Formats: sequence, C-alpha cells, structure tokens
Amino acid sequence: MPDTREQPDNELLRSVARGDESALAAIYDRYSSILLGLLLRILHSRGEAEDVLQEVFLQVWRKAADFDESRGRAFTWLVTLARSRAIDRLRALDARTRAATASAAEPSEEVSDASADAFRAEQREIVRRALAELSEDQRTALLLAYQEGLTQTEIAARLNQPLGTVKTRTRAGLMKLRELLRDKFEGANALF
Amino acid sequence: MKGHADYKDALALAALDSADEAELRALDAHLASCGECRAELRALRDTAAALALAAPPLAPPPELRARLLAALKATPREGARKPGETEREAVAGRAAASAHDAGRGSNVVSFEEARRGSRRVIFSRPAFVFGAIAAALVVCALAAATVALWRSNSAMKSQLASVSVALTETRDELGEMRGELARARQERELLSAPDARTADLVGTKAAQSARARLTYDARTGEAMLVATDLPPAPAGRAYQLWFIADGKPLPGSVFTTDARGRAETHGTIPPEGRRAQGFAVTLEPAGGAQSPTGEMYLRGTT
Ligand SMILES: [Zn+2]
Repeated sequence: MPDTREQPDNELLRSVARGDESALAAIYDRYSSILLGLLLRILHSRGEAEDVLQEVFLQVWRKAADFDESRGRAFTWLVTLARSRAIDRLRALDARTRAATASAAEPSEEVSDASADAFRAEQREIVRRALAELSEDQRTALLLAYQEGLTQTEIAARLNQPLGTVKTRTRAGLMKLRELLRDKFEGANALF
Repeated sequence: MKGHADYKDALALAALDSADEAELRALDAHLASCGECRAELRALRDTAAALALAAPPLAPPPELRARLLAALKATPREGARKPGETEREAVAGRAAASAHDAGRGSNVVSFEEARRGSRRVIFSRPAFVFGAIAAALVVCALAAATVALWRSNSAMKSQLASVSVALTETRDELGEMRGELARARQERELLSAPDARTADLVGTKAAQSARARLTYDARTGEAMLVATDLPPAPAGRAYQLWFIADGKPLPGSVFTTDARGRAETHGTIPPEGRRAQGFAVTLEPAGGAQSPTGEMYLRGTT
C-alpha cells in the first residue's frame, strides 16, 4: 500500500475512480483548506462555503472517472468544480442576502497552519508575489472575475469602466500571471 | 473569416469563466474546429487555477471530514464498474451519466457548457435554441436528481428505522442494567447489615433449573428475592414465598415472572418469619393463600 501523502494528484484521482475512500480522504487533506478559502471568498459565508465544500468532494467521489489527465491538471479540475458549484450557489441565493453578505466585513484571515504543508505554502507565496507584480487595475479585474465570479459586463458596471477596457486589463493580467508563473510551476515542480 | 488572434480575449475570459454569452458562443464554435485554441484554453485554465491560492486557506472543522467520509458510503459513484459489469456497459453508463449532468464536472465535455446554465439571461433566437437544449438537460438532470433523492431518502428512512430499533434495544438494555445495578446496590446494603442473612433456593422436580436467592436483614425484616428460570405462571395463578419456622409455613409475598422467567420481589418479613430455617416457593391462586395449596417450585435453607 503506497503512502497516499506521497502520491501525485492524478494517481489519487484514479484510485478514487476505483472506489478507494482513503484516496479521497488524501485529496481532501491535501486541498480542502485551499478550496474552503476560495469558497469563502466567493460565497462570503462560512456556512455556505462548508456546505459547498462537502458537495464538491462528493462530486469528486462520484465523478472521478470523468477526470481525464490528458486534458488538464487535477488541481485545475478540482478548482473548476469548486468554483462552478460556488457560483451556482451564489446565483441561487437571494440577491438581497447576497448584497448584505458581500458588503459585510471581509472574513478574518483564519489561516490554517497550512497543515504544515510547506510546499503548498511556498506555492501560495509565489502566487501572492506574482499578483503583486500586476498593476492594481489588472489585479482587481482578475480577482473580481475569479473570486467574485463576475462576468466582464458585471465588472465593467461595478468599476464604472468601459467594457473594452476591462476586457483588455483582464486578459493582460492573466497573460502576465502566466509569464510570471511559467518557470515556477512547470516541469517536475508543478504543483497542479 | 476570423483567425486565432480574434479569440485571444475570449480565451482568457473563458479561462476565468468571465466571458459574456455571445463571446462564449462564438468561441465555442471556433474551439470545435481548432485544436490549437483548445490547448491554449487548457493552459490558461491552469494559470487561472493558481488564483485559487491567492485566497487565504481556511482549515475546515474536523466534523466536516468525518461527515464527508460517512456520506461516501451512501453516495454511488458514476462510471464505476460494478462487479460483473463489462467494460462496454461501464462506458455506456458513464456516457449516459455525463449527458445527464450536462457536462458539469467533466473536463472531457467543454467547460463552457457548464457555465452556460448559470450565465444565461437573454433569450435571443439562437440562445433560445440553446436554452431549449439546456432546459431539456436540466429536466434530465432534475429527473436523475429526483430519483437519486428518492433513493437516498428511502435508504435514509430504512437507516433511521434500524437506528431507532437499535436505540430502543439500547434503551431496554440500559433499563435492564439500571435495574440490575439498583438490585445489586440494594443487595449490598442488605448484606452489609449486621444481621444480614442469605438463603439460596433451588428448583424442585417441577422446575429443575430454577434458582432464587433471598437476602434479608434479620433485625428489620427487610428482604428481597431474586428468582430465575421459573416457568411462567398460568393465568389466574402466581408464585408465593413461604417462611418455615418451627415446621410451620408462614405466608410471604406473591409474585409473577417476566417472559424470561425472572422475578424480583421486595417486602418485609414478619417477626416470626425472621427466625425461619427454611424457605419455599409454591404456585398458588393469583391473590395468594394463608397456607400452601399448590405445587412447590423452589426450596432452600439458611
Ligand atoms: Zn484557434
């Protein structure tokens, strides 16, 4: 029995597809803190975020056989599942509730001890630094799109900026981020 | 004729799930025939996923993990081959399952399909056709979800029923243990009295496996009798305890057994009974008797 903590994401997902509960637990232990942090950013409610987190991992359990590693990284697949469920939940919530919670104070930064995972803490630091190198406008556009789940039209309205300008910034921001992360995340060192 | 360059913005926005409807539709049409742009979209999605690390991580409460792992048992996996199922059947089942789920969660089916459901607001004519397809998929998904809910509901009901049975059993056991504990305590108290006496009674030919222990305080007369393995008393009849002092039986308490033949009775032995040398249990009329009339079931001496 290989130690699940050492196994790559792809292998773990293959085991999950065969019904291996310990592989699902290993994926959970690896990513639940990161995903819950993201879900909280999108949903602004800890209860909703925990709820969606549970749904996401149940979906991983049911759907692991659909994951095709030749078409994308496991981490990308997980994050995409989590985001799309969270955005669906967000849109299902009463608009009034949403406005009220969204304007509430940012949740306090309850950083887990990162489950003592120095590797992922390092990856987070790399992303944080890369984001700091983008212009303020680019960063804002990217995070509104990714963490708030807004369309370009919605971002333009929120920022009171022309749609074309917002699109250009968003794309430029993503391309620059790709350049900044290129050397960091490719090859054997790839996190995702 | 548009070229790759015209889709650069749309690709980036699609990777962030931030493209608008019309843009997404045009891109989808192009992606269908352009492997280069599909590869670019995948690469951009990997970059976008890194943004997940920009949010501060938050450790879920430990109960969430326990709840999830418990829920796995009740959650059927799709695309998993059941024992005895052929590879072909498994693949066919998987395809059907993907269709029902409208591509959500699969990185095989276009990610954009998943977005459409949540983003659609305007019903232009082509959008309406998409809408009809999406609606049909939603109906399928809802039907599948209803069946799944119904199934998990029945499963939960039967789980609940067995939990409730187990709970009742536990409660009964607990009641029994409490009774035994109280009995043991009382017995101990009785035995700690300076004039404590015990008498073991054994079954007669009428009930050879029956046993009983009488514990009493010879000074106060406080007594308890615990009997096992007595046959249930017939209707209108009951067991009665007798104290035999100077060869003469004195009447004691009247009792019946539970379904398993157990009996427990408490009482006070009258003063003349406290110096009894022998004890007996007979079957008598339900109201008891002044002197023994029925068959003897247990007997013993101090
Ligand atoms: Zn192309």
